Amino acid sequence: MTTDSDIIRSSGESPQAFTQLYDKYARMVFRYAARRAGESAAEDVMAETFLVAFERRESFDHAWEDARPWLFGIATNLLRKHHRTEAKMLKVTAKASGRESYTDSTERIAEQLDAAAATSALAGALRKLSAADRECILLYAWAELSYEGIAAATKVPIGTVRSRLNRTRRILKEAAGPLMNNIEEAGHGRAQAIA
Amino acid sequence: MDELKLLREMHDDVPGVTDAAVNQGREQLLRRMDPERSGAQKAKKKHRRKALRIAVMSVATLGLAAALVAGNVIGVSRPQGLASADAAEVLNNAAELTIKTADPVVGPGQFLKVDSTNLWLSMMGAHNPPDGVGAHGEMEWLDTEKMSLYIPANRDQEWVWERSGRIPTTFFDEKSKEFALNQAKEMGDTSELLKGVGGAFYNSPSSFPDEKDMAAYSRDPRMLLDGIYKRTAGAGQSADGEALVYIADLLRTGMVPADLRAALYKAAALIPGVSVTDNQATLDGQTGIAIGRVEKASDFRQDIIIDPATGQLIGEREVALTDRGSIPAGTAVGWTTIRTTVVDSAP
Repeated sequence: MTTDSDIIRSSGESPQAFTQLYDKYARMVFRYAARRAGESAAEDVMAETFLVAFERRESFDHAWEDARPWLFGIATNLLRKHHRTEAKMLKVTAKASGRESYTDSTERIAEQLDAAAATSALAGALRKLSAADRECILLYAWAELSYEGIAAATKVPIGTVRSRLNRTRRILKEAAGPLMNNIEEAGHGRAQAIA
Repeated sequence: MDELKLLREMHDDVPGVTDAAVNQGREQLLRRMDPERSGAQKAKKKHRRKALRIAVMSVATLGLAAALVAGNVIGVSRPQGLASADAAEVLNNAAELTIKTADPVVGPGQFLKVDSTNLWLSMMGAHNPPDGVGAHGEMEWLDTEKMSLYIPANRDQEWVWERSGRIPTTFFDEKSKEFALNQAKEMGDTSELLKGVGGAFYNSPSSFPDEKDMAAYSRDPRMLLDGIYKRTAGAGQSADGEALVYIADLLRTGMVPADLRAALYKAAALIPGVSVTDNQATLDGQTGIAIGRVEKASDFRQDIIIDPATGQLIGEREVALTDRGSIPAGTAVGWTTIRTTVVDSAP
């Protein structure tokens, strides 16, 4: 099996091999960037991530077989120039009431409203986080990197990742916690009704 | 449902990338591999520049976040040594004057109004990796934001926060200026009038120090400083630097009572490396003495600026000691000035 590390190695001799990495991960990088800063920024970030990665391929740490931490680290840096768009997106989410959503059951509507309120609170809290904390939690939740992966992506010790994630999860829980309980209760209620 | 699951579902509905965009990105990559390919673009070799490691201030905080990206992790160890004699004298004098100052009394129904002018650094571009390929290259400029925070006498009631939004004000080259002004035009008016019960804005818990926290700080300078070292352990570039940043951050909230302000000045006088950095420091039109400390790891200096006649804090600033992209050495890349008054009503 060809690992990412193998692809990057072979691209030393034949640069075109690097496109395999692009084909494998471009959409993943786009999705992550789009969730943070919208589609238009994401198209740029996707393309630039691989240009930067290609130029820096000699710096890839071959102790890793998986190139995702490296690529998401580059994407994270590139996303910093879109911080205003990100802030604006979070602001919009924080203000959204969820009232535009509709379904066929009142119980479901109530639950959706609660979920929307909790998401709003969450967006508000995300917006207030330091850039480093926000990057950390989003690499975890949206890019699905491991603790080690985040440490490699952001070039900090794993202990720092751990403490950033702990702190950030606590902040997010405090912000959205009371509203999340409502969702949970609604869920229990329905389960009991079915039983 | 936990916060992580909720987060995983947030912004989950972004549309997928179009094939056209994927192909375009692929084409760009191929061109980079082979400059002869379509357009015969010459591969531009960007000069390597020292990575600028400043976190752009979070838009949504008053700036309680430390401005420097956490670097080396340093454990708690009780540092030896003191601030320079002249710095200690200025700080201790200011402390004596402060302790004699009566804080304005906020009567029932009134508000403590904290007006601040804030200068923030904005950066665009792939600054880390330093030779990253940015469509716009690296750009930097400074934004100004004016704020008024109305804190009710009963802090559990509704607070009001007027924010002008960040307005680009200081430029160092034409390219950045053009970009910044265009972007500002695109963003439109970003001013906000926020209301939050108990200081909880943006649907988030209050990030302001509360009265209980203020009361809990020791008024003994040594004990206070030790407590600050513990709180900031592992943050910033150095334990001493981070302690001074913490003190500056707390002071600039404008919410610190006189006895604690005095103790914070005296605590700053105990930090090794702190010295008088500018006898005639002008910040936003006010002149005072700057007391600060150079962070060697990053070549930034954190100053607090005090009016020596009254002991009042004029503000705080962060000065870049080396060129940072287009920003020349010696530029204050971030500062805050504050003024507190008592008012009868809030907007």
